Amino acid sequence: MTREPTKTGNHPRKETDMASNAEGPADLRAWLTGCVAQYLRRPETEIDPTVRLADYGLDSVYALALCGDIETHLDMRLSETLVWDYPTVDELAAHLEELVAAQQPAGAR
Amino acid sequence: MTAPARLDDLERLLGDPADDGNPIGNTAVLAADERDEMFAAGERVLDEYCLNAEFVPRRYGGRLAGADDLIQVLRTVFRRDPALGLGYGVSSFISSVNVWASGSPEQARWVAGTLLSNQKIASAYHELAHGNDFSRAEFAARPQAQGGWRLTGRKEVVTNVKRARGLVLLARTDERAGSRSHSQILVDKQAVPARAIRDLTRYPSVGMRGVQLGGIEFTDCPVGDEAVVGRPGQGIETALRSFQLTRTAIPTMLAGVLDSGLRLTLDFAAGRRLYGRSVADQPEVRRLLVDAYLDLLICDSLGLVVSRALHLLPGQTSMYASAVKYLVAKRLMDAMHQLSLVLGAHFYLREGRYGIFQKLLRDLAPAGFGHAARVACLGTMLPQVPLMARRGWVNPDPAGPDLFRIGEELPELPFDRLRVSAGGLDGLVGSLTAAADQIVGDSPEQRRLRLLAGQFRAELGDLAEAGAALHPGDLGVDARVEVLGLPARYATVLAASACLNVWLVRGDGPAWVVAALDRLARSIGRPGADRGDRYREPLYQELAARHADRRSFDLSRRVLPG
Repeated sequence: MTREPTKTGNHPRKETDMASNAEGPADLRAWLTGCVAQYLRRPETEIDPTVRLADYGLDSVYALALCGDIETHLDMRLSETLVWDYPTVDELAAHLEELVAAQQPAGAR
Repeated sequence: MTAPARLDDLERLLGDPADDGNPIGNTAVLAADERDEMFAAGERVLDEYCLNAEFVPRRYGGRLAGADDLIQVLRTVFRRDPALGLGYGVSSFISSVNVWASGSPEQARWVAGTLLSNQKIASAYHELAHGNDFSRAEFAARPQAQGGWRLTGRKEVVTNVKRARGLVLLARTDERAGSRSHSQILVDKQAVPARAIRDLTRYPSVGMRGVQLGGIEFTDCPVGDEAVVGRPGQGIETALRSFQLTRTAIPTMLAGVLDSGLRLTLDFAAGRRLYGRSVADQPEVRRLLVDAYLDLLICDSLGLVVSRALHLLPGQTSMYASAVKYLVAKRLMDAMHQLSLVLGAHFYLREGRYGIFQKLLRDLAPAGFGHAARVACLGTMLPQVPLMARRGWVNPDPAGPDLFRIGEELPELPFDRLRVSAGGLDGLVGSLTAAADQIVGDSPEQRRLRLLAGQFRAELGDLAEAGAALHPGDLGVDARVEVLGLPARYATVLAASACLNVWLVRGDGPAWVVAALDRLARSIGRPGADRGDRYREPLYQELAARHADRRSFDLSRRVLPG
């Protein structure tokens, strides 16, 4: 996706000490589940990764905030409508896995 | 033709509103309002001018280039009759932006041709049961096995739905919940079977009384695949992107209402003597007038800067547009209410020289809820606050100075580059810091401006801290009142940046900008400038001089007819 061209490079800093794209698929899925649970103020055990987030009441603009959190967590720029297009925890985790894998330099794999 | 030349043409066609002999003047406008009718003579003049061409991008044969020019032209209409502005004009503007943003070239050409032949296109989003929550819309388009769609459902309280040639309908195209379940459907009412659509009765209203608010019901109405605007499921995204233009432009056009309100109040205050002196000489009256003048300049600065940002920083305007809708609508309504206190009983009369004031006041009210309610705008901004707090509000890059050069040539509106989220980028806030650094020197004004800029930087620091500490559960529709205060305060910081930067590139005298920043700072509980009130008397003199010269009170200072 295209973003505003920045004149002097407004790249986000590493905003969290958790930022790491070395974690495995299970970690990412668990992190996402925790994140969604926080948004909904519900225990993680109640979040079914196959249920659409909108069915939990996570509406369109709310989903933008989640996208910002994922960007910060993975230290990646993402399409802001990501959560609309991958509307469950499982679909999101699988898609993010692919993006993270594609980003790793070949030697690191 | 440049915007000022177009504006002069339109001003000439519409003439002096205060002239009783003018068939397009206040007397005729009021008479139409009393009959709950659209102002027919005004509509004929706008047909002659082809106002709709202002909404059509140049590439499709219209006159739309810079959003700031569009606002100036429409303000000329809103200054006289907001019902004409909405009911003749901007309802077609609202529907057309969906098509410019996401429609096919064929759809865009059809919309352009319809508008350029003085026909209307209604924006049919609203369902009474769901209000601003259009993601809950029930109006359904169901895909057919053989291709095409069938439309079923009702749209209610929709401007011009009955007389419009075209409709842009927001329809559910997927039964599942989510943000990919809706689409805009473009319908030519003459091309669908008459039995499949039915007009609902008109909704009478308090203000905008002439505007034809109606409803429509579709029953199993067939349309082709080519009726869908963009991809099926793209509707929420198209709305959130393209309405950034309308949410910025329409409130800023409505500043014309306050411009007229100020003129009427000055006419009244200058001509009326009470207790042995002119009303205009009473300090309290001058205070109210100067406050209203400052609010007009604040609204104009923020609205026009954001309208330019749509061209120059299109990825960043999702928060800005909602901030305009929130802040400008409120300041305009509050200022008109304050002016009504000066007019006293005269604002309550529906005829005579000041009779138009009560109509302007009533017609302005939809600024607070029409298209999107002010509080809904805050709710739309809130989910972006945490990311802004982490990125955009900590040493952001400034925007280039072109952002603040009102009326200067702009690149074509890049509808395809408008984004639903700013992704934590904030050039307008960056420009606040950059502007503050440019104010060097030791005059009292420069010292006060530095002091005021410092207060907005401190505010931004507080916002960043509070925003970063927000719990994700605080961001939804049930957000606490103080949490919704964060985007509201942010809108005030944006307004301060717009005023300061517009002033810097214009090279005006400093009175207005010191007083405007002082007013904005106090509105968010900051101390303001030491003795900021010393600028009030020179501002009153400036206001009175513009009134005497028959100039507009907004940034353009245009000479008005009459």
